[in-house]
Amino acid sequence: MKRSGASIVIEALCRNGVDTVFGYPGGAVLPIYDELYKNAHRIHHVLCAHEQNAAHAADGYARVTGRPGTVIATSGPGATNLVTGIANAYLDSVPLVAITGNVAVPLLGRDSFQEVDITSITRGIVKHNFSVGDVRELSGILDAAFRIALSGRPGPVLVDIPKSVQNDLCSEDEYTEQRLFSAPLPEPDLEEACRLIADSKRPLIYSGGGVVAAGASAELRALAKQIGAPVMFSMMGLTALPADEPLNLGMCGMHGTRSSAELFSECDLLIALGVRFSDRAAGNTVQYKEGKKIIHVDIDHAEINKNVTADVEVQGDVRKVLELLLQKLPRITRPEWEQRCAEAKKLDIHPREERLTPFSLLKTVAGYCTPDTVIATDVGQHQMWTMQYFPFQKNRTLLTSGGLGTMGFGMGAAIGGCIASGRKRTVLFTGDGSFGMSLQELATAVSQNLPLLIVIFNNGVLGMVRQWQTMFYEKHFSHTTLNRKTDFAALAKAFGAQGKKITSLAQLERALYAPAPDVPTVLDCQLDMDEFVLPMIPPGGSVKDLITRKG
Amino acid sequence: MESFTIELTVSNSCGVLNRITGIYAKGKHNIDALTVRPCSDPALSVMQIVSRGDETVQRMMVRQLRKLFDVKTAVLANDTTL
Ligand SMILES: Cc1ncc(C[n+]2csc(CCOP(=O)(O)OP(=O)(O)O)c2C)c(N)n1
Ligand SMILES: [Mg+2]
Repeated sequence: MKRSGASIVIEALCRNGVDTVFGYPGGAVLPIYDELYKNAHRIHHVLCAHEQNAAHAADGYARVTGRPGTVIATSGPGATNLVTGIANAYLDSVPLVAITGNVAVPLLGRDSFQEVDITSITRGIVKHNFSVGDVRELSGILDAAFRIALSGRPGPVLVDIPKSVQNDLCSEDEYTEQRLFSAPLPEPDLEEACRLIADSKRPLIYSGGGVVAAGASAELRALAKQIGAPVMFSMMGLTALPADEPLNLGMCGMHGTRSSAELFSECDLLIALGVRFSDRAAGNTVQYKEGKKIIHVDIDHAEINKNVTADVEVQGDVRKVLELLLQKLPRITRPEWEQRCAEAKKLDIHPREERLTPFSLLKTVAGYCTPDTVIATDVGQHQMWTMQYFPFQKNRTLLTSGGLGTMGFGMGAAIGGCIASGRKRTVLFTGDGSFGMSLQELATAVSQNLPLLIVIFNNGVLGMVRQWQTMFYEKHFSHTTLNRKTDFAALAKAFGAQGKKITSLAQLERALYAPAPDVPTVLDCQLDMDEFVLPMIPPGGSVKDLITRKG
Repeated sequence: MESFTIELTVSNSCGVLNRITGIYAKGKHNIDALTVRPCSDPALSVMQIVSRGDETVQRMMVRQLRKLFDVKTAVLANDTTL
């Protein structure tokens, strides 16, 4: 039996376990959309309002499920609208398969209507991409795309399919295999790492997104306990231990906890697990190594010795490496160091606040969530406060744009995350600026009946930029005061959602505990424009430069 | 700065050179010389790329090139002339 390329796409999606796709139709994907129409019982297609947000939705879906998210867009503007979403997934190592249509093969390279060379455009922001030249390759390419997206260090893969290939017919015995090269992981040699850990007096674990991706929370906790080492996290790794765990120091880096900054400066061994020492997490990488040794474990060989030089490099799956370390290492107690950890953690205690502030807002909303509630954020001060104050309990409950820092990520991510969680109540913490970049997706959330709780930190400003202008640019508030007159509650209603303006904590509590309708709810929370995210280590600084107070 | 040559066996298909030069371009490493020639296996080509950089850069480039799915092998050649 011969199938069309479009039908091969559907078969490949189903074979690779895809039951939900996000997307937006157009001329160059009409054959695929026709097959989606016929296969609606097998694949649920979520129509978003903009392809960028469809990509973020697929990204959010992948972060919650651990399986590749899938997004479909048409050629030209549909494809270019995906670019930010693909870059976002790339920088956060999220498995994503993006399928774009393109003009028919004979029209390629002629600047045809809605033709762009999307494989060239995305080359620097994908793990791999394919431009399908022949329908016989299509099935093998799609299988390879899903395999690549998920294997090793996950990431996005784009498959560009000309419309003629979608229409061409081909039978299974004509399918060709893709020839791709990838080196197998070496057997990790842990002798030197074990020796350093045994010799260390003050070991500190720096854990990242790799530990979340590997689902290695249990192994991480076991190692921390076995060797008496506190754990600090990059933003991407934050959820790997429950917030209230005694050895958990919270997030490190520019807006990390004081305890993490202090213990980092005091430790004599840093055990880096699935991290990449990004400038936001590591700060000054020149002074970084002073007084300490570094063991760097990562599945991606190119990450090791990239930003900081490791004394011991271990390439491998972090979960497997942790299992081996647990077998090889004895139980080591370091009562003094653990005591120091407990003491340092007291520095992170935040006093109660009775007014509506970022802190009291987050604590109040947290009280209404369960350990499984999926939390999405946008980018800015509200994002950092969420990292600092929200007591995350489990992996795959935090959807935040780490590497790219994409304002507008939140709405798409919350939609994808909510669907992935089985349409459970999902919370988005957003800013008035960020929400303005993707609020049209309220339409999607309404048509999909998603119970999103959208909490806007409405400070009237691009707060994070304003904070930098306050600290480093003599309060020259160049284009960061929004001066908008948007009524977010009315806006929500116009989209068919619920909305409320919140000016006090009591009001917030009432809104949260009122019976939840099965429609998205927007809470427009009024906050002071001059709140700061603190502590802060200025760019290129170290613990000595830590700022803990405003002014 | 030290000149270094990387030798690669890559898939002989469209867009591969673009992917490889992209790795150099993103870190702002100029390519001083480049050759591509066919290989006994028609599905593969052999490349030599000369660029400049210290040991950290050299190691980083090799490791990043090895990550590409159409790069079969990438090794640092001691010989810095083509
Ligand atoms: C797409 C995009 N454009 C610009 C920026 C730069 N930027 C980072 S934070 C920020 C302000 C965000 O404002 P808002 O969403 O209101 O959050 P707040 O900081 O006020 O909590 C800006 C403009 C960005 N991260 N992403
Ligand atoms: Mg704001």
